[in-house]
Amino acid sequence: MTSTGQTETPSTTLAPRTAFPLHKRVLTALAAVSILGAAGCAGAEAESPASGSPAAEAPTGATTTAPTSTEEPATAAPSGSAAANDPAPTAAAASDQTYTDGTYTQTGSYQSPAGPEEVGVTITLEADVVTAVEVEPMPDNPTTTMYQERFAGGISDAIVGKKLDELAVDKVAGSSLTSGGFNEATGKIKSEAQI
Amino acid sequence: MADSFSFEAIGTSWRVDSRAPLLPRQRTELLQLAEEYDTLYSRFRQDSGVTALAESGGHLPLPRHGAALGALMRTLHDLTGGGVTPLVGERLAAQGYDADYSFVPTAPPSPSRAWDDLLDWTTDGVTLAEPALLDVGAAGKGQLVDLMVESLVAAGHQDVIVDASGDMRRVGDGSITVALEHPYDASSAIGTVGLGSGALCASASNRRTWGDGLHHVLDARTGRCVDTVVASWVLAEDAMTADGLCTALFVADPVELAGSFDFDYVLMYSDGRARFSTPLAGALFS
Repeated sequence: MTSTGQTETPSTTLAPRTAFPLHKRVLTALAAVSILGAAGCAGAEAESPASGSPAAEAPTGATTTAPTSTEEPATAAPSGSAAANDPAPTAAAASDQTYTDGTYTQTGSYQSPAGPEEVGVTITLEADVVTAVEVEPMPDNPTTTMYQERFAGGISDAIVGKKLDELAVDKVAGSSLTSGGFNEATGKIKSEAQI
Repeated sequence: MADSFSFEAIGTSWRVDSRAPLLPRQRTELLQLAEEYDTLYSRFRQDSGVTALAESGGHLPLPRHGAALGALMRTLHDLTGGGVTPLVGERLAAQGYDADYSFVPTAPPSPSRAWDDLLDWTTDGVTLAEPALLDVGAAGKGQLVDLMVESLVAAGHQDVIVDASGDMRRVGDGSITVALEHPYDASSAIGTVGLGSGALCASASNRRTWGDGLHHVLDARTGRCVDTVVASWVLAEDAMTADGLCTALFVADPVELAGSFDFDYVLMYSDGRARFSTPLAGALFS
């Protein structure tokens, strides 16, 4: 373990994640899934036998997956923003690893209902395993935090809808048939109110 | 579907479809389940358990499924900071949604009374320290859907849907396509979702309305009608959970519920925008 300091302290990099507030953990899990998706694919292409399954287990945070490689070359601390999708060639050539260990930060932007917003994602890679993920909202205005918490899904523009008779569906889920008693009562009131 | 059975129960229309024939005794059992449930929980009946509690408080023994409903109501209560509670019943009635369907508010909106001071819901049943009108509408219809599905599965049905006017649960292979009814236009849909084995429930505030902006979804923390969310749909494993989450989504952010429940959702706001969980991103028409 000669290359980077981070690889020797995987448990400390993991520890803050368990203390995240709930909503943040949800975001973190999503980010981890998408990032690991990329890492897993790249690992498979490089035919690195160790990279696939540990990576898949990492985001649960239930166990600390210790780095197994002891031969990673001492490379400069990575700073490229696209590193997560861009394997460092020297590391891959010299060992079983596809990625250089280290902490990577990427800034993403998206269109929120409040305008364009940014979110920062920081991941820690050790022996091709993501050992920590942090998602940092970077709000520009007061409503942004609220919208970023809705990251888990999405928000559409105003829905126009399609006519049911133009759709091939088996069932309809809605409220138009709800509460016969209620409808009966309002119908009665209407008829009583008629002159 | 080879066989179908339609009936009225707990104030709404039901339809059961099954690939196998629905035998007379199975149909009877469904009606009995609905009658028993209604006798316990309906606040629109003079002879119900809930009405007795409203008159004199005390203890109402509940069958086994009562514990599950109480546990869900309590979880939703806690996750929504009291926005969902069975004690909303008396506030709904005070706003005019009462047993006589008077539709005349008798008191200004006010927060529901606090659960802990008044209500003890255990595995045996419900105990009230003093009289209070309870309403389990948040999840009760869904639970009755579940009880019917379980009854049919126990009788050997393997491909069956119980649909209580939009709150439904399905057991079977493959999936069906369900339209999400547009809350402002019942002849339109805002999208479609696939339903495999599981439940899909819907809630909308615009159908059961009366008076000046009054409808049946109250935020129990304020006693006022929720006017920002107009409709919600939830996909979950069982209908009680899906129904309860539909209600909770009117008063809580989905993120606040996501840690405790596994579900997908669509929410529609009064301005016509919709919000959805990631797996349902393709479900909506745009």
